[in-house]
Formats: sequence, structure tokens, C-alpha cells
Amino acid sequence: MKSVSEQDHFEILEVAPDASREEVERAYRLARSTYADDSLAGYSVFGEGDAQALLQRIDAAYRVLSNDESRRAYVESLRAEGSFAEVLPPLVEEFTQADALPGADVLAEAEEESDEFDGARLRRSRMRCGLEIEEIAEITKVNPTYLRSIEEERFSELPAAVYVRGFVSAYASCLGLDARRVAASYVRRLEERRGAEHRFPGRR
Amino acid sequence: MNANLGAMNDGREPHPVARVIPVGGGKGGVGKTFVVANLAARLAHDGYRVAAVDGDLEGANLHTCLGVPRPRCSLADFVAEREDDIAKLLLETPIENLQLIAATASNLATPQPSHARRVRLVRALRRIPADFVFVDLGAGTHPAVMDYFMIGEDGVVVIAPEPTSVENAYAFLRAAFYRRLRLAMVSHDVRTVVTLAMDERNERGIRTPVDLLREIQAIDSSEGARFVETMRAFRPRIIVNEVRTAEDIKLGFSVRSVCRKYFGIDAEYLGYINHDEAARRSVRARRPIVAAHPRSDASIYIARIARKLLVPRPSAPSTAQLGARMTPGAP
Repeated sequence: MKSVSEQDHFEILEVAPDASREEVERAYRLARSTYADDSLAGYSVFGEGDAQALLQRIDAAYRVLSNDESRRAYVESLRAEGSFAEVLPPLVEEFTQADALPGADVLAEAEEESDEFDGARLRRSRMRCGLEIEEIAEITKVNPTYLRSIEEERFSELPAAVYVRGFVSAYASCLGLDARRVAASYVRRLEERRGAEHRFPGRR
Repeated sequence: MNANLGAMNDGREPHPVARVIPVGGGKGGVGKTFVVANLAARLAHDGYRVAAVDGDLEGANLHTCLGVPRPRCSLADFVAEREDDIAKLLLETPIENLQLIAATASNLATPQPSHARRVRLVRALRRIPADFVFVDLGAGTHPAVMDYFMIGEDGVVVIAPEPTSVENAYAFLRAAFYRRLRLAMVSHDVRTVVTLAMDERNERGIRTPVDLLREIQAIDSSEGARFVETMRAFRPRIIVNEVRTAEDIKLGFSVRSVCRKYFGIDAEYLGYINHDEAARRSVRARRPIVAAHPRSDASIYIARIARKLLVPRPSAPSTAQLGARMTPGAP
């Protein structure tokens, strides 16, 4: 158990020595928001001075670890000192790790392994990735109103299927999903619903 | 349907010790009871034998969430020494495999059990014939609440993404931390220092658990080692409830980071449950949401958490295990 002042850069950012650049990046963003002035998680535990000092340490750690060269030199220096004693598991773990367990007949499992991709499932995947609608909109250049309509399946507010296919496909690849499969499934839902409305106008 | 542990046991062999999962969080209204009712119902649906125990003798309402409107007996009967056998207080619920110990009709003058009674209660909870025993803890950090939280290593803290809840959650963890520590320390001098440190404005200037460790190491190195071991074994689990945005989900990771940096304990982020109108409706309908709306987002998030509870917890991670856990692309 080390105090913050005794922790090395890896411990400060809570990443493993072989963390990828992406992991370092993510850990840094999380640490900055955790110990920021207005942070929900930090403010009641750390005093103002402590949080400031910690943020400085976080920035310093990031500066060293985000650059391959300086990181290599830093690892060398740690080795020379003979440390690397207490390595913690990465802070942000994949929530899905436990999902593939045997023995649990869970609706979610059946649902999440099915080929059906509805709006709610897209939303859950987005939440799991830690992304807000606005961030998806920025990456995909799809209007956030459309993205919201896609998640909430307000089909009447969406344009023609060919456009929706493009939107969903961009959205899905943003979440690391199989874009073609997701878009095909979603558009199938959309067309079924629109077809039903065409046959029974006024019914929703 | 998975292997039914109850069926495997067949009633002939003495039942193995139940996994007791206390659920606390300091603040009232963050959804502890909702979480208990639904995790219990979910696991019961999966074929596990589950008991849900309402530990909130001053604000009992688990029975309502599980659709048992007027419990005929309750934990209060055990507290008042009218009933000595906890198992006799188990009530059937409308959900198969799920039994309830209610906490209604407590004596307002002396709602909490005496210390001796508490010790008996904690022992009895482990022997309830079930695979899982959930204990819904009351709000606050009353010593009785902390004792129940200490029953297992599996204590869950429910947090809502709002400042009051987060503050109370830390107060709760702090209370659990120091209580645990005081029980683990042997030497009188060291216990005195721990008690001193529990006052946030103590004169020795002990501000953080790491400061306290330094003090203890200076007094007695073997107690210092015990301190470190105790902390390593203390791994509370976090559930963030009432999540509305992706930002809210990150709160669990942030709290986990603060726990490491401040307390030096490795909490586990068990999962999150979204804010769901269906949840409100299910409470009004007095049915767990996993039964009333199994396809709602909240039910799916609850199912994910339930699945995590099935995994036996590994002991404190060692460096060797770490390599396998490094998966790039985690959220």
C-alpha cells in the first residue's frame, strides 16, 4: 500500500506496464475527470490541495507514458531501481468479461447473441462503450436527432430506409459492431414496421 | 436453464454455506431495495435458491417490492426474541425459488438487535438453506448495519450519480474500513491509534489510511502487515444505479480509482442499472422489474450483474494473473 506520492507513473494512471497507447489515453481521460475540481467521485474525499497535487502527478505520468521514447526510458529507470512491485489490474475492465459464463440461462444472453439489433440494443452498446449521442454524432456526422430516433425507434421521424441503413451502419462501426449485420437487422425492423403501418394506416 | 444447485444438493446432504451478499450504500433512496429484489428474483429465475432478507428494521419495504403485502412474521420477531430460528421466518414469495425474511412490525423503541443477538443473526444468515442470501441494509452507518455489511467479502455498495449519494457511499466505506481494521488489530496501542484516526480532525494529523499505516508500522510491524492484509481482503463491490448518460457509467470507475488512491482498497465495479420508467412502474405494481418487464434495459443490466455474482471471486490479484486480464479495447 503506497501513498500517492510514492506511486510510479503506471500506478498513478492505473495502467499496466504493457498498456497500449489507447489504454493510456483512456486512463488519462478518466483520471482527469475523476480528480477534476467539480468531479462527483473525488471532491468529497480529497481536499483541494490534494486533488491539485494529484492532477499534477497525473499530467506528469501522462506526459511520460504517452510517448514511446520517454516511456521506454522510464521503464528502464524503474527496472534499474528494481521496482514494479505492486501492479494493479487495469481500472477500466471490459464489462462483458463475465458475460460468457456457463450455467446462466439469462434472457440478456439469448438476446445479445441473437441477430436482432433493435434501438435499445444499440443504446446499451453505446452506453457500454461510454459514449454519448453527441460523441457518436461528431464521429459519424449523423444528426444527433436522427441517432436518438434510431435508438428510440421513432420510425416515422426517420428518412427513407436507404439513409437509415447508412446512419445505422456508421453508428454500429463507431461502437465496434459488425456494421453490415447491424444495419441489415435494423432496416428489416424498420421496413416491417413501416409495411405494417402502410397496410393499417393510423395504427402505431 | 442452468444446473440447479438446489436440486444437486437433493436435501440429503447438509446444505453448503450460503453466499451472503449484503447490499448497503449509506444513503436512503438510491435503490438498494430495488437492486436486492431484482438480483434475487433474477437468480431465483435462473434456478438458484435465493433468500432476500430485509435488514432495514426501521424502514422495511422489501416485502412490498417482492409482492408480499402483509408478512405474517419478520426479523423483528428474532430481534424481540420471540423466535430463535431464523429459518422459520422465511416466507414464500410469488416468485419460485425466492423466499423472504421481512422486517415489518419492529418495536420502535428498540428496533436494532442487541450485540449478542446481532452475532447470532449474522451466524444464522449463513446457514439459511439457500444458494444466495441477499441482505438489504438500512441507510446510515449504524454499527448494526456495518456488522451486516461485514458478513461476507461480497458486500455491495449502491450509488446513484448524485453528490449526496456519492458522499454517503464514501462515509459508508470509511465506516466499514475502520470497523474492519479495528477488529483485525490485536495490540491495544494500535487499536487506540485506529480509534483516533476515525475522527477526521484527529490531533495526530492522520489524514488518510496510508498515514495511519505509517503510524501503525512505527508502533508494531506485525500489526502493519496485518493492516495491509486486512485491506487487501476488503474488496467492496459497486453498483451505479439510476444511470442516465454514458458519463454516469464512468462514475463507477472513478469511485474505484478513489478507493484505490485514498483507501488503498481494490473495490470492484460490478455494473450499472439505468434510470428506467419501467422500474418505477414495477415498484408500483409490486413486482420485480425482471419479472414484469424482462426485456427492459434495466432488466438486462440486472441480468448482467447477476451473472457476475455467479463467478467465484478470485483472491486478491497477483502480478502473474495480470497478463491474462489485459484486454485492449475495453470501454
